[in-house]
Formats: sequence, C-alpha cells, structure tokens
Amino acid sequence: MKTFATCIAVNAVACALAMPAAARDVNESMNAAEDGRVSISNTSGSIEVQGWSRDQVAISGSVGDEVEELVFERSGDNVRIKVKVPEGNRRFHDVSADLVIRVPAQSSLDVATISADIEVRGVKGEQDLQAISGDIDSEAFAGDIDAETVSGDIEVQGDGKKAQSDLQTVSGDIAAQRIAGDVDAETVSGDIGIADSSVERADLETVNGSITFRATLESDGRLDIETVNGRVDVDFVGKVSARFDIETFNGRIRNCFGPKPERTSKYAPGWELSFTHGDGDGRVTIATLNGGLNLCMD
Amino acid sequence: MNSKQEDSIMERAAGLAKEIPPSRDLWPGVEAAIAETPAKASEKSVFAPWFAQAAAVVLLVGASSGLTYFAMKDAGSSSAPVVLSPDLVFQQTSFARYDLGPGFQDARDRLSSQLAQELKRLSPEARSEVEQNLEAIRTAILEINSALDAEPDNALLQELLLNTYREELTVMNRVGGLTQNVMTRNNGRRNDI
Repeated sequence: MKTFATCIAVNAVACALAMPAAARDVNESMNAAEDGRVSISNTSGSIEVQGWSRDQVAISGSVGDEVEELVFERSGDNVRIKVKVPEGNRRFHDVSADLVIRVPAQSSLDVATISADIEVRGVKGEQDLQAISGDIDSEAFAGDIDAETVSGDIEVQGDGKKAQSDLQTVSGDIAAQRIAGDVDAETVSGDIGIADSSVERADLETVNGSITFRATLESDGRLDIETVNGRVDVDFVGKVSARFDIETFNGRIRNCFGPKPERTSKYAPGWELSFTHGDGDGRVTIATLNGGLNLCMD
Repeated sequence: MNSKQEDSIMERAAGLAKEIPPSRDLWPGVEAAIAETPAKASEKSVFAPWFAQAAAVVLLVGASSGLTYFAMKDAGSSSAPVVLSPDLVFQQTSFARYDLGPGFQDARDRLSSQLAQELKRLSPEARSEVEQNLEAIRTAILEINSALDAEPDNALLQELLLNTYREELTVMNRVGGLTQNVMTRNNGRRNDI
C-alpha cells in the first residue's frame, strides 16, 4: 500500500511537471513623468507598448507561472518593468509574458527581449529596442529610433518627421515607411525596403538581401547602397539632384536617367555608370558584386 | 650577384618605407563604420570592447599600411610593393586568400570565440541563424576573392572585400554585444534605474 501511495505521489509530481504552467493575469499602474524613460525587459512572449495621454504607466496582460516576479518600479523620471526569471533558470526556458504597457506619449523607451516580439505605437520619445529573435514593429515620430535584432524582422512606420533611424538585423528583413532624416539599415541575408520617405542621408547594406529605395533624396542628400549578392531597386520620388557613381561586378544596370552604363573592362563582366543629374549637390553611390540594379525616378 | 651589389640592394631596401600610405585616405570612413558599432555596444554592455577595438585598430592598421597582396603575390617578397590602383593598395594577406595581418586574425579569432560563448545562451534556432549568416558572409568573402583572382586590380572588388571583412567583424561584435546586453538585463544583473 505504501508502495502504491508512493507511485501515485511520484506520478502526480511527474504530471504536475509535465503540465503547462498556468499564466496569471496582471493589471497594475503607477504615476509617471510626462516625458520620462520607461525600461522594459522580457524573455519570451510579447511586449506591446502604447503611448497615451495620461501621466501614468499601466501594465496589463499575463505572465507565466514560471516567472518569479514582475518588477514594476519608479525612480525619479524612470520606470522599470522587468519580467524576472528565477535564479536557476539561466537559459530562460518556459518563461513567458505577454504584456500591454501604456506609457505617457512623450516617454522614451528602452526595451530588451530575448524571443519576445516588440510592438510600439504612439510613443514619441526616443526608442531603443533590442531583441534576439523577436520581431520589432514600431511607429516612430521625431524621436530617434535604434532597433536591433538578430533573427527578427524590423518594421518602422514614421510620420514624416526628421529623426535618426538605426535599424540592424542579421537574418531578418527591414522595412521603413514615412521616415525622414537619416537612416542606417543593415542586414546580412534579409531584404531592406525604404518607401514613402524623405531622407537626407541613407546608408543601406546587405550581403545577400535585396535593397529597395522608393523615396525622396533631400537636397544635398546622400544615398549609399552596398550589397554583395542582392538586387538593388532605386526609384526616386520627386526631383533628385546628385552625382551618381554606380558599379557592379557581375550585374546589369538599368538607368532611366539617360546615361548608359559602360563596361569596366572588355574582358570582365562589370559595369559602371557615373553621371550628374540636376545641380549635382547630392551624392548617390551604389556598389554590388552580383546584384543587378534599376535606377529610376517617378 | 656580388656582395657589393647585395649590400647596396640591402641598403636601399632598408631605406624603403615599410608602409605605403594610400593615395586617398579611405580609412577614416572605415574606422568610423567599424567604431560605430563597438561604441554603441559599449554604451549598453561590456561585451569585450577591447576585442572590438583591437579588431578595428588592427583592421585599420592592416588596411592603411597598404594592402599590397596583389603586388606582392607575383613579385616575390624582395620586391618593393607596387601600387596597382590609385585609391587602394593591398598588403600580403593569408586569411581566406587575404590576410589583414596576424593581429587582425588574432582579434578575429578572439571575437569569434567570445561570440561562441554568447551563442551558447541562445536557442538552437537563433544560434543556427547567426551561424548561417556568418557563413553567408564568409561565402561572400570567398566569392569576392574568386572574382579578384580574375581582376586583381579591380577597386570595386577590393572595396567590397574590405567592407565584407568589416561586416563579419561588425556582425560578430553586434550579435555578441546584443546577446550579452539582453541576457544581462533579463538575468537581473543589471540595474536599469
């Protein structure tokens, strides 16, 4: 009988361990500075940050039972939210939280996740967003945005106000719309797309991904594009005035501006194209190894 | 060759500059590009900043001292380096086909080893993605090297090669720094406020 009872107890423990842990709901809020900084860290799940008109930070959502504690504290103008992992769980297995966090609209953000996706809406301050394998999807305003992920995609929707956008991923795609000012975008195997934007300076680099630029290059602006194996499509919106220097080792160049590309050598497959359009106050450089490229203007 | 001639040659060789500065200094731009990521990373983490700095410095030193690989490849080590392109000069190398100097290789190895430690903390999927992408960069380096075999004095290829080497260092540094920063924050060792 004792053995039987022991078996039941062992099985019960085994079942308990095997069962998915239940999540618990979270609903908390505190007062915050109108334009303070909100720092958020999470392991897996999701983080959705929404700007609102109240001087408060509010959290709702659910956290897994494995989460040791949801830290929610304020120090001066800074608010910290942290999904705390138990001491022994250094590999962050089975720790998840899905949180919707409302912050004062003028706040700046500092978000770091491991595999949790990050979504930001209506937050007008600077944004520093980092994930290892999560996607980053943000609305950006006049505040600078720095988004980095390893294997996730990055999507930024601007509102046409000038800012610095640093967008970097390794294997994900980068898509930015309605941004203005300066943009640096870099990925290894993902694609880069910049659309409906107006940039003063853009530096776009991939190794194997394609690059699409359908935007306005501001007067005296600079556009630098480099890819090893990706295809390049540049379609300027509005007038463009720049000096163009384009070269590809093994791709074709299609140019709507008129001048024809020339062979770099009669023995090699490379093409180059240099010309000035308009006053030539801006500068456009494009370099590829194998990618072909289209250069056009609306 | 008699010993007098030999002495004369040796004397003239000793008087030759050991480095040939590029006729156009491209390296401040490269330096800025490389230094940007470590600087940003160091604000957020302590991921081996000296590795990154060392790699950047070594890359710069290796590059700006004149990449004379093409010149040296066929001319033999006793020949004076020859500038093949007005903008870029390559020095003899041995990593992949080119080597930006033993210091570069050493720094790259250390950065790679540091990254390997950080990658252990990632999920198998994320780790595999990083490894595949680093492999893609290395494949691109080989592709460019291959193209350079056919056109050794092609400035576009030389620039792409250098930038792709830089990209490899940048990705290793960025991924390592990002991983450490995110893990540290999520592990509770960093106090954010």
